[in-house]
Amino acid sequence: MAEPLPTLLDLRRLLTPGPPQAAHRLALGVPGIDAVLAGGLALGAVHELQPARPLDQGAVTGFAAAIATHLTRDGRKILWIQHDYAALEAGTLYAIESFGLPLALVVQVPRVIDVLWALEEALKCRAVAAVVAEIADDDAVDLTATRRLALAARDGGGLGLLLRHRPCATASASATRWEVASAAGVRDGFGGLGRTTFALSLIKNRCGPCGCWTLSWDHHERAFLAPALSLGVAQAARDRSARALPGRAA
Amino acid sequence: MWLKRLATDRLARCLGAPRDAPLAVIAPVKSALRLTAVNGEAARLGLNPGMALADARAMYPHLACADADPDADQHMLAAVADWCDRYTPLVGIDPPDGLILDVAGCAHLFDGEAALCRDLVRRLHAQGCEVQVAIADTVGCAWGVAHYSGSALVPAGAARDWLAPLPLAALRLAPGIVEALAHVGLKRIADVLDRPRAPLAARFGQDLVRRIDQALGREDEPITPRLPVPPYVVERRFAEPIALERDVLGSIAHLACELHRLLERRGEGARLLQAALFRTDGKVYRIEVGTSAPVRDVDRLRRLFAEKLATVGDACDPGFGFDVVRLSALVAERCDPQQTGLAVPDHDVEFAHLIDRLGARFGLRRVVRLMAQDIHIPEFAIAAVPAHAVKTSAATVQVMEQDSLGSVRPIRLFARPEPIEAIAEVPDGPPVRFKWRRMMHDVAHAEGPERIAMDWWRDEDGRTLTRDYFRIESKAGVRVWVYREGLYGRETTEPRWFLHGLFA
Repeated sequence: MAEPLPTLLDLRRLLTPGPPQAAHRLALGVPGIDAVLAGGLALGAVHELQPARPLDQGAVTGFAAAIATHLTRDGRKILWIQHDYAALEAGTLYAIESFGLPLALVVQVPRVIDVLWALEEALKCRAVAAVVAEIADDDAVDLTATRRLALAARDGGGLGLLLRHRPCATASASATRWEVASAAGVRDGFGGLGRTTFALSLIKNRCGPCGCWTLSWDHHERAFLAPALSLGVAQAARDRSARALPGRAA
Repeated sequence: MWLKRLATDRLARCLGAPRDAPLAVIAPVKSALRLTAVNGEAARLGLNPGMALADARAMYPHLACADADPDADQHMLAAVADWCDRYTPLVGIDPPDGLILDVAGCAHLFDGEAALCRDLVRRLHAQGCEVQVAIADTVGCAWGVAHYSGSALVPAGAARDWLAPLPLAALRLAPGIVEALAHVGLKRIADVLDRPRAPLAARFGQDLVRRIDQALGREDEPITPRLPVPPYVVERRFAEPIALERDVLGSIAHLACELHRLLERRGEGARLLQAALFRTDGKVYRIEVGTSAPVRDVDRLRRLFAEKLATVGDACDPGFGFDVVRLSALVAERCDPQQTGLAVPDHDVEFAHLIDRLGARFGLRRVVRLMAQDIHIPEFAIAAVPAHAVKTSAATVQVMEQDSLGSVRPIRLFARPEPIEAIAEVPDGPPVRFKWRRMMHDVAHAEGPERIAMDWWRDEDGRTLTRDYFRIESKAGVRVWVYREGLYGRETTEPRWFLHGLFA
């Protein structure tokens, strides 16, 4: 029998697709946002999320989980990297299964430098669809570090989400930067809190304009809902003629 | 093997006490300071353990003394036992100053028992330990010969002849029995060997007969190994010690190839690996790496150790170098070869490898999965379970019932609920405003209460209080999970408020 190993390797090399195309994008399902992002969040890149106010850490976490959920559909894995200090400061991850990430794999790391190392290793791994990394200390993540991460993400083809704990304006090599805040949700019909609502503002976009949106998250369908148009609109009076309805007047 | 001067050797090794000056170790025995150990130089002057310090000082006023430290001695003995691992995996400790090595089946690797014995004595002497080593058929015989006639090789079957001239204490008897035997004129082992057993046992106890049987091999005496014997061991010895991390890693990779062959032959993969680095001066470093699934791939093994060495490498001071590198699989599990995809790389395997590498660097306990537990108390309802302990296929995914459009449980939970100052309109109603981390928040809307009782059936003093949880949206849109501790009026009159989690 001839040596089987080189042959197999050669075949693999022939059949393996090259690095993922730049056009590969994750559509969020909201036409306005997808248009601005030229089709959706770029895969094989690093995106930054930061809270608009320090209180909005829950919203940032939720938005990251909601994005990551979109990528679990083909069976690839999600990895969450949590800095110990971040867990102390803003709480440990808890019910992310309500965002469609059951049995999520979490790596708890002691130092910022370890977050970056783990993030880079995970981004290089092709089996990982998305890596979410939380960093409480912003100074360590500079342009050089994010450039390294961006290159690792390009090789691996996964989506990197970098969660900051404070609004931050340092330069970075990320593809987009989002500022996430919680917004007042629309009450459901029974006096409950209603859907989780994010007030998003895209403050950096390498391939298009920026913008602001308000999005709701549907926990049952696991999908974003376009801005609720009925928000703040007065109910139409039942005894008026159709011509006087507020929708027609505009 | 008897470390004759363990206490003074330790002092000389660790504290740099001079070897050519008399040195004694003292401890209070029966309200007098007595010598418990002396070094070779002091022994030559006629000092013996058991002598009172005052007598010794009267003979030699300049005698140097140090306090006895039995714990440190045991520590040193354990370190020597670790080092002796290079000769055989079966090393037992015989307190206070002996080691028992089972070299059956190992001696030929060192060119026979005599050569092994010489090598052991030479190396330990170079490390500053004075030892007397005896190799014999039985533990009892080896112990007696090592303690009472010095280093020797007792030929097979000659135990009786060697033991006969030794004093009775060489049988490992309690001092009381030796004294009682001396009273009736029995001083040598030869005196008791041929006597009828029944009267001996009746007069001096069963222990005497048992010890004689053990020494002559009529009764079995197992060794209790200090470390578990691993199922797979491969090792490499170097004539010239290696010190560079690159070389250590290279030799581990070579050993991994051999280990791979062994594992493959039995269809197993390693779950827990250990690399033991034997430093020339006797220190042994053991580096353990766990895996999430059975592994026998050479490249994966090498990379796991590369990660581990990157983190613990600084703690391994190579000194003058390592002369033995040993790789062992401590835990192995069945691992059947799997058909891999030709075109598409196998994601599961690649992901398992990533987990192992992260685990090797940060510790496998830090790579966790969040799993719903069958407990209603929020702190424990979702637990972080180490990923390698979870069988993904067996894990059931429990999704909490959703009774509203939003999430029922927060996405982030504080391990320690943070106290807040809250103002409520009615004692058991939701708060209207609260102060958290020095900021005031006005409540726009609240859902609740969701009453969660702690496990009162375990609490006999009635100290745990019931919690009323509220899901709250502030006027700024932030959603938090707060609770009031204690039922107003029934459990407490001044309920305290806590913030437990953040919603998305």
